[in-house]
Amino acid sequence: MRYADFTPYDLVLLLQGLGVTVGLFLATSLIGILVGTAWAIVRFYRVPVLTPAITFLAELLKNSPVLVQLFLVFFGFPAFFHLNVTPVEAATITLSANTAAFVYVIAVAAIESVGRDQIEAARVFGLTRWQVLRHIIGAQAAAFSAGPLVALMVNQLQVTSLISVIGVMDLAKIGANLNMRTLKPFIVWTVVGILYYLAAKLVATIGARVENHLRSHSAFRGL
Amino acid sequence: MIEATDVRKAFGKAVVLDGVNLTVQPGEVVSILGSSGSGKSTLIRCINGLERLDGGKIKVDGFDVSVPGQLAEARKRSGTVFQLFNLYPHMTALGNITLVPMEVLKKPRAQAEAEGRALLASVGLADRADAYPAQLSGGQRQRVGICRALAMQPRYLLLDEVTSALDPEMTAEVLAILAKLAEQGTTMLFVTHEIEFARQISNRVVFLEKGTLLVDLPTKQFFDPAGGLAQPRVAQFLSKMRKTENP
Repeated sequence: MRYADFTPYDLVLLLQGLGVTVGLFLATSLIGILVGTAWAIVRFYRVPVLTPAITFLAELLKNSPVLVQLFLVFFGFPAFFHLNVTPVEAATITLSANTAAFVYVIAVAAIESVGRDQIEAARVFGLTRWQVLRHIIGAQAAAFSAGPLVALMVNQLQVTSLISVIGVMDLAKIGANLNMRTLKPFIVWTVVGILYYLAAKLVATIGARVENHLRSHSAFRGL
Repeated sequence: MIEATDVRKAFGKAVVLDGVNLTVQPGEVVSILGSSGSGKSTLIRCINGLERLDGGKIKVDGFDVSVPGQLAEARKRSGTVFQLFNLYPHMTALGNITLVPMEVLKKPRAQAEAEGRALLASVGLADRADAYPAQLSGGQRQRVGICRALAMQPRYLLLDEVTSALDPEMTAEVLAILAKLAEQGTTMLFVTHEIEFARQISNRVVFLEKGTLLVDLPTKQFFDPAGGLAQPRVAQFLSKMRKTENP
């Protein structure tokens, strides 16, 4: 057997890479959703200083390439803050912050989508701002944001492939290594592509279920 | 008692309320008439604290709605029913009614739901408790809206053109309930275009014109040729409204 041939162990490597990709995706999505939602709530309360600061940060994160952010964290943190970050840490920080910025935009739009009339009706009956957010806005904003959020998640799953450039052994990096060894790019990248596709499809399917559940109050089922 | 003294409100350059004085005593049903843009809805929105006053004072049982610490107390005493229902679309009819008693009065769910179901039964919607607003007709939605306001056992019911978005049949459904409430002695401040109905249920009728109270008279005198109708503007308004009511 030549070193350039595929071995059964390559499949194990690919699945390990998929595990790293999915693991990082899940962790950074969770952190990103929590942080982005928290930012949106700060904005909902119109906290002075903090709100414009968050908006500025989100703008920076949204409008610059993830790859640039990744390099800035990976090389910048040690240089400027004397904080050594491992590739996985740098990837986690960058992807979480990037997801948070987009979740923030979606969450702000979702909060604003809830009609003023409903909020007035709630305030008139004496609900506090927090109670309005929790009982009136929360559920409806979640339903509103489910669609964009799922689209974002599917995209962020693909974006994780960028972290391979700083040496995280994710699916894309394993694919690159296999490609270098076997020199069979069409086979390697097709398999890698299919694995990404299946993972993304799973995210979209779960997302659609959640969305349907959140929208169950609406009698309108589409045209 | 609701006391509005010299209430002033402007949106930009448009003066909507220009020194309104109005008192509503417990047990009274007061109808507010007036053409569109006369400030009727704004007056209601000032009383429940949705609009900030530019001048004057509004007190509900002595609590000043312009003082942040007192607004909550003032709001507890009044319940608002909206023109466009303003129900929470993600909650069932029962959920719409029980939310505020559970959150603000901290009532246990079982008690809030029992009271909510009783309210729904009283407006003929016992079997629609688990329906979402989107599954209800306009008249049914507004009846839920009335139940939601009543669930807080308010001393004063503020009704802002509650039948304007309904067809005549549904309007009749809602008015029948309001008539029943009036009979039971509920205090109501009632913005409406239903002249005949206002005549039947109210103790007093006030007429707003360009942000000022033109007429404030007991119902009988308001509709008397020597009373309210002696005001040319009132007579003109009523004759126009009658024409649209009975073409």
